[in-house]
Amino acid sequence: MNKWLIFSQQIRTLTIANLKSRYRKTIAGFVWVVFNPLMMYGVQSLVFKTFLKLQVPNYALFLLSGLLPWIFISQALEMCTSLLVTSGPLLKSYPVHPLVYLFAQLVDNAINFLAAFILLLVPVWYFQPGQSLPLLLLPIPLVLLLVSVLGLAWLLATLQVFFRDTRFLVTFAISICFFITPIFYPTAFVPEKFRWMTMINPFHRLIDPFRVVIYNFSFEAFVNSCFAAAIVATASISIAYLFWRKKRNAVYLNI
Amino acid sequence: MPSTSTSELLLEVTDLNLVLNTDVYRPLNWRDLFTALAKDPFGTLFHEADRLHIARNISFSVKRGDRIGIIGVNGSGKTTLCRCIAGMYVPTSGTIVRKGKMRAVFDTAIGIQPELTGRENATLLAEFMYADQKNKLKIINDALQFSELGSFIDVPFRLYSKGMQARLCLSLVSARPCDLLILDEVFDGADVFFSEKISARVLDVIHRSGAVLFVSHSFDQIKKVCNRVLVLSGGQIIFDGEVEKGIAVYKKSGSQSAN
Repeated sequence: MNKWLIFSQQIRTLTIANLKSRYRKTIAGFVWVVFNPLMMYGVQSLVFKTFLKLQVPNYALFLLSGLLPWIFISQALEMCTSLLVTSGPLLKSYPVHPLVYLFAQLVDNAINFLAAFILLLVPVWYFQPGQSLPLLLLPIPLVLLLVSVLGLAWLLATLQVFFRDTRFLVTFAISICFFITPIFYPTAFVPEKFRWMTMINPFHRLIDPFRVVIYNFSFEAFVNSCFAAAIVATASISIAYLFWRKKRNAVYLNI
Repeated sequence: MPSTSTSELLLEVTDLNLVLNTDVYRPLNWRDLFTALAKDPFGTLFHEADRLHIARNISFSVKRGDRIGIIGVNGSGKTTLCRCIAGMYVPTSGTIVRKGKMRAVFDTAIGIQPELTGRENATLLAEFMYADQKNKLKIINDALQFSELGSFIDVPFRLYSKGMQARLCLSLVSARPCDLLILDEVFDGADVFFSEKISARVLDVIHRSGAVLFVSHSFDQIKKVCNRVLVLSGGQIIFDGEVEKGIAVYKKSGSQSAN
């Protein structure tokens, strides 16, 4: 049987098992996972729009297009960072590629993300409709986001094997990045002096295509933002791969 | 029973060397680093990486019908050699050529998701062990029936005793033969070997498989299973041949290193 087919089958089976194991013995189960982004979204739109009165037209749609991809990034990174360490005994017992475990965790997160995303998009769209045709382009930013996060998660999970501080740093970095990345405010709000911070911020690069597609579509902006996101994706996956190739034996020795 | 070797090569290991960097075990927190710097600034900054030479110039070939026992004292590189062959470690130099389907098990008391039931874990384990087989459900059901876990099949895996975990895992491992079977201390540490039934089934799958690499500390098991042994010492093969002679070589080398 084809190597890739086996790989994807293993990912599918492990993802289903992860989902089952997580929701077992919970009363609301899946609801909790979707509830978190919904609440975050509700509270933030109340605070930023009503309390702080951010002057952004169609703010509900604007926030949705930035916050939901961000929640996916942050949750996926936090969950994946210790993955190689925690599945260490398993990795050493069966010759299964470690990427199977990472992929399964990522697919798991992506399902939660899509569920919350669709649940929010439908009502928001109903009250504040945007351009609907560009929505068909959503799979492109989605794939770029998944590839980038896979690369980053792979790199962080490998680092965690050698430096157990990585996990703490990730949590710390994520809470900082939430503020310095234009998620709940537009890039235009950033003063010229600090614009470079946004320009080099890979998370901004990944979220931007979503914003273009959902909030303010123009073909030129779409191509540009996707190009930048593709650079982030390529860089992230190649750095992770090269680092893994160099450290593979050491990972098996240290888990 | 195909217990004599034929000419079909299933595995060929040539000049295998594996050197692992153990540098990461050096002091990492600030205080230790500071003391190390104060004591020996040059040594700390420009040290040679600590290296473990785990496999040295290992060459051997495995033909269909070979049941190879691998013996050696703790730390002689038995498991690491098997992990190399299974594709987990990448050799520093040398080549490993594998033909046919391989299956490797390094621990039998392990569940993939302890929270899930024995049946669900069996499904996962089957996905990992028999990824390329078509009829996985039949394999799983056969194994579960054989394991005689009864009502425990639908109980979370974390509640299993070590013996029960091994029973489930061994029932699955022994469900189908393959070309190259790697079993690393699968009977050790669990009470399973006393249960005649499961050991008979594992022996049966060993005999039906193309070739077997069998790591164990028990001479009885080696004598029962193998028709050839490799004795490892310090990452090198010091003997490759008949079982009885190999065990004698191992006993001699063991008593030498003890003195």
